[in-house]
Amino acid sequence: MRTSMTQRLAAGAGIVVLLILPQLVQERYFLHIAVMAGIYTILTLSWNLLAGYTGQLNLGHAAFFGIGAYTSALVAMKLGISSWFGLLAGGGLAAFFGFLLGFPSLRLSGPYLAITTIGFAEILRLVAINWVDLTRGSLGLSGIPLLSPIRLGSWTMKFYYERDYYYVVLAAVLLTYYCIRRFTHSEFGVSLQALRDDEQGAQSIGINTSRYKLTAFTLSAFFAGIAGALFAHFARLVSPDTMSLHVTFDTLTMTMIGGLGTIAGPILGAVALTFLSEWLRTLEDFLKMDIRLVLYGLLLILTILFMRGGLVGLFKGLAERFRSLQRSRNIGVDHD
Amino acid sequence: MESLFLQQTLNGLIIGSIYSLIAIGLTMIFGVMKISNFAHGDYSMVGAYTAVFVMAWIPGWIGWVGSVIAAAAVVGILGIVTERIIFRPLIDRWTDIDMIMVSIGLFILLENLAQLFFGATPRMISDPFKSATVNIGGISTSMLRVLCLIFSCFAIGVLQVFLNRSKLGVAIRATSQNRYAAQLMGIDINLIYILTFAVGAALAGVGGVLYGTIFAVHPLMGAMPTLKAFVVTILGGMGNLRGAIFGGFILGIAESLGGNYLSMEYQHAIGFCMIILVLLLRPTGLFGTKESR
Repeated sequence: MRTSMTQRLAAGAGIVVLLILPQLVQERYFLHIAVMAGIYTILTLSWNLLAGYTGQLNLGHAAFFGIGAYTSALVAMKLGISSWFGLLAGGGLAAFFGFLLGFPSLRLSGPYLAITTIGFAEILRLVAINWVDLTRGSLGLSGIPLLSPIRLGSWTMKFYYERDYYYVVLAAVLLTYYCIRRFTHSEFGVSLQALRDDEQGAQSIGINTSRYKLTAFTLSAFFAGIAGALFAHFARLVSPDTMSLHVTFDTLTMTMIGGLGTIAGPILGAVALTFLSEWLRTLEDFLKMDIRLVLYGLLLILTILFMRGGLVGLFKGLAERFRSLQRSRNIGVDHD
Repeated sequence: MESLFLQQTLNGLIIGSIYSLIAIGLTMIFGVMKISNFAHGDYSMVGAYTAVFVMAWIPGWIGWVGSVIAAAAVVGILGIVTERIIFRPLIDRWTDIDMIMVSIGLFILLENLAQLFFGATPRMISDPFKSATVNIGGISTSMLRVLCLIFSCFAIGVLQVFLNRSKLGVAIRATSQNRYAAQLMGIDINLIYILTFAVGAALAGVGGVLYGTIFAVHPLMGAMPTLKAFVVTILGGMGNLRGAIFGGFILGIAESLGGNYLSMEYQHAIGFCMIILVLLLRPTGLFGTKESR
């Protein structure tokens, strides 16, 4: 569980690259995709906390995303206070709903939990469609204000540009990463994984499973809400589609392909698939068809059938093979 | 007032019979193989498209009957193919999550392949009765809907006879009760898996034709039957056939009456509210026996 020196160096170098990325590539389209990849990363990391670490299949994750998006947008539009409060309110309200949804999930598992969580998201989507006074129904909310600018002396950060927004999303991704890593590496988190592998065993050695599950649900929902809020102020349009099943399915596809139950997997999956699907979109003119989602489905099936560890598992396997190859070669040298 | 109530009950019965038909396949597959197949509604979608093409080719009465048979055949084969390629390899090393995820992969794949090949525009299965209606004591409905009701009840009846009277049917039920004991009794478990998937998918395909006859046929239509079928199976208890039959009618009538007397907008939410109540109060389903979740 301890991080080695090389791992720390690699992480440091990665962060530096991410920080100077907008200076290296100034193309706005690229930065737009990078922001979306960041938002998806928060979604996959938070979903993975439940599915990957506690083994609870939450198929209503889109609901938290939507709650965050609508709350933050409405706070900024109706109350007229700084949109940063909206961001927090979005996360907070999503966390509250996550806490509530955590209760039935204590008693349910597998398909029962999956359907209950889908039901939760579908009911909220219907509310978003039908509470027209507040949400403007299926039209959705448009003209959502940008994040309020930050002024530090003469230096101002406005969030009109993708570049500036990139840094906000990057900060949120790092925060999510940090919190979830702390959580999964803590004593708490280790118990959580024990829970996933053997619930009765975990209970018998005195782990309070209910508290852990509820905390995991609340935390997961909080970050999904933050992702939704960030999406709202970036896209500046929020419709009931933010709560549709497809948002959840995108999230789970990315997580599975990256590697369920790891920290690097969801990040890798979200970034790789966001960029892949943008690339496929440019290919669409050439192919005259949209094969993006067909590929998602196919990759998801293939991952589960042949590559259960996802990309992370694949890389680990390759590294392992490389190392053992090197070892056997060294032995050969000794014999000479 | 009273006729409105009867009218809505009849509508509920018609929709409910289709829900039952689709849910029976889902619950059979769950009972025998412990697979929660989220792509089940897409079997219905494929069935509905089969009907669209057959009806375009042979119009009228014969076309409609032909399309039901064709849908059962096409989707039955699709069921076998998916069982062999996707579900079977996982069955010995499955976890709930793997199985559900792989079926979600199949759901995404089928839905988008359909979009690719058939386009996004909704299509209709043409009405062999040319929108003729029947009127029974002040309640009127289209001939087509009556046919749907009769037909799905007929299909459910045939299935019941098959499961209760034929040797293979009994073998399926035995496997559903206890896989290992069934194996010890000399039942070829592999054959039962294929058969279960073929029959379960074929029922969903036939249900899809009826569903598409009443609503429209489009590539994304599969999500709704999937969700409804899951609601029905949970209402009736997962793996419980009788539960699925009654559950379908209960859901159909509850949606129809609820949509009329409570709220049209939240009609689709009624089923979910019902299962949340059922799971909290009677987790084995309305018709469940003692069995852990």
